[in-house]
Amino acid sequence: MTAQPTTPAPAQPALPSTTTGAEALVDALLRVGAEHIFGLPGGAVLPLYDTLYQRPELRHILVRHEQGAGHAAQGYAAATGRVGVCLATSGPGATNLVTPLADANMDSVPMVAITGNVPSTALGSDAFQEADIRSITMPVTKHSFLVTDPAMIGPTVASAFRLASSGRPGPVLVDVSKDALVASTKRITDGDLAMPGYRPVTEPGQPEIRDAVSLMLSSRRPVLYVGGGTIRAGAHRELMTLAELTGLPVVTTLMARGAFPDSHPQHLGMPGMHGTVAAVGALQKSDLIISLGARFDDRVTGVRESFAPHAKVIHADIDPAEIGKIRTADVALVGDCRPTIAALAAEFRARVEAGTVPDYAEWVAFCQRVQDRYPLSYDAPPAGQVAPQQVIQRIGQLAGPETVFTSGVGQHQMWAAHYLGFERPRTWINSGGLGTMGFAVPAAMGAKIGRPDTTVWAIDGDGCFQMTNQELATCAVEGIPIKVAIINNGALGMVRQWQTLFYNERYSHTGLRGTPTDPAGRAPVQVPDFVMLARSYGCEALRCDDPADIDKTIEAAMAVDDVPVVVDFRVHQDAMVWPMVASGTSNDDIKYARDLAPQFEEDD
Amino acid sequence: MSRHALSVLVENNPGVLARVSVLFARRSFNIDHLVVGPTEDPKVSRMTIVLNVADDQLHKVTNQLDKLIEVIHIEELSDPSAIRDQLWAINDNGPRPVGAMAAAWG
Ligand SMILES: Cc1ncc(C[n+]2csc(CCOP(=O)(O)OP(=O)(O)O)c2C)c(N)n1
Ligand SMILES: [Mg+2]
Repeated sequence: MTAQPTTPAPAQPALPSTTTGAEALVDALLRVGAEHIFGLPGGAVLPLYDTLYQRPELRHILVRHEQGAGHAAQGYAAATGRVGVCLATSGPGATNLVTPLADANMDSVPMVAITGNVPSTALGSDAFQEADIRSITMPVTKHSFLVTDPAMIGPTVASAFRLASSGRPGPVLVDVSKDALVASTKRITDGDLAMPGYRPVTEPGQPEIRDAVSLMLSSRRPVLYVGGGTIRAGAHRELMTLAELTGLPVVTTLMARGAFPDSHPQHLGMPGMHGTVAAVGALQKSDLIISLGARFDDRVTGVRESFAPHAKVIHADIDPAEIGKIRTADVALVGDCRPTIAALAAEFRARVEAGTVPDYAEWVAFCQRVQDRYPLSYDAPPAGQVAPQQVIQRIGQLAGPETVFTSGVGQHQMWAAHYLGFERPRTWINSGGLGTMGFAVPAAMGAKIGRPDTTVWAIDGDGCFQMTNQELATCAVEGIPIKVAIINNGALGMVRQWQTLFYNERYSHTGLRGTPTDPAGRAPVQVPDFVMLARSYGCEALRCDDPADIDKTIEAAMAVDDVPVVVDFRVHQDAMVWPMVASGTSNDDIKYARDLAPQFEEDD
Repeated sequence: MSRHALSVLVENNPGVLARVSVLFARRSFNIDHLVVGPTEDPKVSRMTIVLNVADDQLHKVTNQLDKLIEVIHIEELSDPSAIRDQLWAINDNGPRPVGAMAAAWG
């Protein structure tokens, strides 16, 4: 492997010409601009922790579980656009990172995970706490390295950052054997690996841009289908330009919420299984889908064969493997979303100025009518009970559009996606592709470290919260004042909703307070007491179980800014997420509410 | 379904064969034959892969392979049946310098 020069190292006082592997690792992290690292020590990384002790310029945040370190790195990366870094020891420490790595891989989050491993002489011997984490993570990372030569630590870390942050972003693992951390090596101040097979394409071809715009101009019912790639690429301004130039309807996927303001009149909201009728309907009826950093996920398409049956496709993505993977593209635009969208807008403007005027008026009016007819809405809860949708909507309104929100996975996530109201990119951070319960609290912690001046709210489920709430201890000890709203419906609500709809209300193991039909006759019980639990972690804690108190509880939580605050919102258990396309059915069969199919005009 | 042969240049790093196999298994692409051998450049190995896929799936295979960081170059070889027969012969007769053989066909 060859080392190539990269950016010159900052001028330093004369340093000894040799260094340990651990020092080389910390030097390399600082060189690529890392400022924070989330981790938890163990035998294999002790030498590295000893170096960290002496290098406070790299702030280490001691988590309570390595999964928390991984999701924190993701939250940090998603909130800032920089690479998130986490660190774990060998064996169980490393395997605890697998879920966040898989999550980051699905959602294209730039992150680098450092793990220690047993000494190279013991690798392959089933040594204490040995796990082949490089192989374990092969299918769930962009790349994974194992380093046993101390001289390769610096170049490998530099390469890991390059891989994580360029092309399609993603997680990269660097596993380092303990002896490599201890050994002394020549001090290297720059260089990374050659990686001759890594050549991401960032600029789309101009002929393809012209073809794409020709297709846009000759179509009557195009939709801008916006995915998370636009946020990763920082392409929201270019998107606004293109959207306003064309006047076309915009839909933003779960990963793209915030890429385009919810308040914008062209915005039809989120498509997919729980998408708005207007967003789902627009894709179904369109004759051209302009896909910008989206990947035709099954949660968006429903049954693939009946997804947008009349639509041609322009597919813009930095990852060529996404193009044609699910849906054949009529025009492929391989490149970074930012220059791609800018080029589309420039070409569109030029063609319009040259006299080609597209006619989308009828289509735009149709989409508008669907949106007016089927706005987001929810059933009123039983008298005196709290509607989860209202809680989330009020948090969004009271906290304002600068706030960063994270969420868990479940009903509360879908309500948060719909009702918080997003106006800016990087304000909505969730686990979209992997759907990882337990994401919210540690991701909020990471986001708050990355953006300390921004309010960060985690919208969490009572089930999800119980998977990773130990990181509240980290937040309390390290001074990371996040806010957590537990949408406490006493159930694994999203699964329960499916049981309501498709399993005849047989609530098999989804009640978190016990089952009403408990054979031993045990009464339902709310454990833990989230308020007491949060206080024991050193957090402020509040409870709200009366709809009349929603606003004042949120305001009380907002008034706390020195410690983490947790609010236990006791909400109506039978609230459901609507609209919904049942799994295995066509998007044409979307239900606006239970047993209520929307009527599109041609069906009237 | 039809048979295709790919000549794939990869970085000669530990674990690269596992990475390619994991990819094929995960994406449910079926490998008929796979042979790895050296090239003149000690940093580069050649994998010759014969697989049976629908024609419209082949580009998905190559796209996914190309995504692997250690994959440097992919080429489709023109006569997959002949190559398959040769690879059978190798299997039957013990190892031979396959990298050079495949290069000669490629
Ligand atoms: C780690 C993990 N395990 C299981 C699931 C399946 N699952 C999806 S949503 C859900 C319920 C989540 O419950 P809760 O956090 O209370 O959210 P709610 O749906 O009630 O808002 C479950 C179990 C998952 N997504 N992730
Ligand atoms: Mg719940």
